[in-house]
Amino acid sequence: MNYPFWDVPHIGSGWVIGLIAIFHVMISHFAVGGGLYLPLTEHKALREGRKDWLEILRKHAKFFLVLTGVFGAVSGVGIWFAIGLTHPEGTSALIHNFVFGWAMEWVFFMLELTTAAVYYYTWGRIPNQLHLKIGYFYAFTSFFTLFIINGILTFMLFPGKPWLEVAGTGQEASRFWQAFFNPTFWPSLGLRCMACVSLAGVWALLSCSRINGDDQPQLKTSMVRWSAKWLLPSFLTLPLFFGWYLWEVPESQRALLQLGISTISSGVFSQLTRASFIVMSSSIVVVAVVYLFAWRSPRDLAIPHAIGVLFLALCATGSTEYAREMLRKPYVIGGYMYSNGVRKTAVAKNNENGYLATTPWIAKTTPELENMARGEAMFRGQCMSCHTRDSYRSMTRLLAGRNRETIGNLLKILHEYALESPYRKFMPPLVGTPAEIDSLADYLTVISQAPEPEAKPKLAAAPKEAKPN
Amino acid sequence: MKTLFTSVYAWVDERLGLEEIQAFARKKRVPLHAQSFWYYWGGISLFFFIMQAVTGVLLMVYYRPGPDAYESVRQITYDMNFGWLIRSTHSWSANLMLGAVFIHMFSVYFMKAYRQPREFGWWSGLALLILATVFGFSGYLLPMDDLAYFATKVGLEVPASAPVIGPLIAKLVRGGTEVGAHTVQRFYTLHVVILPALFIPILMFHLWLVQKHGNAVPPAEENKPVAQRRSIPFFPNFVIKDVAVWLIALNVLAVLAAIFPWDLGPQADALRPAPKGIHPEWYFMSQFQVLKVMGDWMRGTLGEVVGVLLFTGGMVAWFLVPLYDPNKSSGRKARQATYFGLAVLAVLIITTIWGYAAL
Repeated sequence: MNYPFWDVPHIGSGWVIGLIAIFHVMISHFAVGGGLYLPLTEHKALREGRKDWLEILRKHAKFFLVLTGVFGAVSGVGIWFAIGLTHPEGTSALIHNFVFGWAMEWVFFMLELTTAAVYYYTWGRIPNQLHLKIGYFYAFTSFFTLFIINGILTFMLFPGKPWLEVAGTGQEASRFWQAFFNPTFWPSLGLRCMACVSLAGVWALLSCSRINGDDQPQLKTSMVRWSAKWLLPSFLTLPLFFGWYLWEVPESQRALLQLGISTISSGVFSQLTRASFIVMSSSIVVVAVVYLFAWRSPRDLAIPHAIGVLFLALCATGSTEYAREMLRKPYVIGGYMYSNGVRKTAVAKNNENGYLATTPWIAKTTPELENMARGEAMFRGQCMSCHTRDSYRSMTRLLAGRNRETIGNLLKILHEYALESPYRKFMPPLVGTPAEIDSLADYLTVISQAPEPEAKPKLAAAPKEAKPN
Repeated sequence: MKTLFTSVYAWVDERLGLEEIQAFARKKRVPLHAQSFWYYWGGISLFFFIMQAVTGVLLMVYYRPGPDAYESVRQITYDMNFGWLIRSTHSWSANLMLGAVFIHMFSVYFMKAYRQPREFGWWSGLALLILATVFGFSGYLLPMDDLAYFATKVGLEVPASAPVIGPLIAKLVRGGTEVGAHTVQRFYTLHVVILPALFIPILMFHLWLVQKHGNAVPPAEENKPVAQRRSIPFFPNFVIKDVAVWLIALNVLAVLAAIFPWDLGPQADALRPAPKGIHPEWYFMSQFQVLKVMGDWMRGTLGEVVGVLLFTGGMVAWFLVPLYDPNKSSGRKARQATYFGLAVLAVLIITTIWGYAAL
């Protein structure tokens, strides 16, 4: 029973998505911001008659095309592979509700890729004004890929009441636009647009750092300073967009920022709060460092300096994406589906009929599992999208020192899911019959004891014939 | 506002001579070449030391050495507002400082910046490195959790194994025959009084030497005609870049402290068996592994003695390199010194990785 609960050693399947997503965001946001940077800069160079700028821009356009067209596109597809394996239920829900959204996104995506290639390969071969128009058309298409994916991502944080009213009735498509333009859509779009503009400047600094400041001091100074200015709009407006975003986030999710659960996150602040702290510090530091490295000493800007700035931008975008993911807890689709893939409306059914009997990932023809195999199946189904056995969010570490009784009590708290339970803020409810939960407790007791290798109990796997329905 | 600032500046300048300092800083120049990147590592080490001092003072407000040590660290971590962040920043900056010092030391070595007239810069730098590792060792015990207790116990067995004076030294440091509340108080005194009292004057001496002799340039750059060598003014150009690098270092520290807060294990209990995989901090791992391997190869205490002698011999050779390779010439001795440096680097990396792999 490996599929669909993906067993990734050390980092867990969630971090596979996380790493690809952080890499992808750095490039895809550059694809949007850089889409504006290129024609605007070309426009400025043509207006001011700066032929030396155009030569640098042409090289930057090549770098842009390769980075966004190859690495951006491949990592984007990689995310879908990874989420399909890690969270099939959540992915299924997204596909069922947003299939036309994705169709629209793909139209713009294909236009974006094509236009980027046309923009680069027609450099100096067609009239300047036509070339500029191609550049602006690229900016338009790339913006709309962001516009659409932003609707889908913000839907996952909170789909809004109109959609939740019909969720699970088969009428979800009738509220497509309400779900798309959900409460956090516009502030999130503003935040992302500003991040795109900043990243355009950050990546451009990398290209500009290659200009020889001794041979072409005027060129380097002017281009480095022009690129550095691209960080200014976000520096001025990000706090406003961030405040607006938090205002629109449901109160229950906003409360996570003030939460401290020592058993879930080390220290007294939640992981979300600590990630938000990094977002703020990195965003401020990146602007300060660009000012010192690029604005104050443009001629001396070297590749290591530009890489330092890129690293800070990576910290800022990475922690923002992490914080956004954490803000969804305990849901994967706000108010509709919990992070363990259980729909809110299906909790009672799972408790009554049994999780393993209800989940589509165990064949109904499978013979009754023995105790350990049942516990492992419960662990794979309900824990492994967030936890690993002994690495990231390790069950061995989190349950260390607990015996069978205390583990059973913890599972009881998660199963009862009382309103006052501190775990309720972060953790989804544990569903299943008492026998299934007992099996899970037995299984967790065994894996959390970190036995000697020679005494390692054989953890039973599900029968080979078990297949998803 | 500007007039007020100008007046205040003029008032201070008249009394302290700020203009003279500025003029001096502008006159001072920093070489610019392909290896200039390595010049920042001394400053990064200094930055992390400052972070250590600031967060250390804040921790001292609530830390209680002695029998209450563990409870006070628990309170700092879980009860005090932002206590976890201060403690985590202190611990991470200690490790980052040592990492930066190692990078600084090897960059100085391979740029041959230990040569005449910079010998005292090299020796004072090594003294600072040794003191920094003692800072790390003494600070590691202070939380008195399980890991700290047993790691210190094992760590103190190394000096105890030295012939004749070893047991005496170990007893003196422990404050008895076993690691306990007295050891914490001694380590605390060492950590916050004795070591800073030694470290800060040597650091000042080290910085003064850098100022006196200026930045060394690598041999390849030295061979260029003076007219072809490039440099930038120390103030404001280099200072601006240094501040930017410090900001990056601050952000690295913030990321590590926030995303991976320093853990606090269960309270130390001498009656419990030592936890599995007990090991020293990464900067002692190489020595730990060499001693372990020597102990496996040779019977009795002979292995430990050979291991200690090997390391001591290596350190003495490392210390005396400026006397062996003193001149600007790039002859046989210079090449041998470079090979020795590469060998030391390789041994440190390999034995450290080996040590972690063998846990």
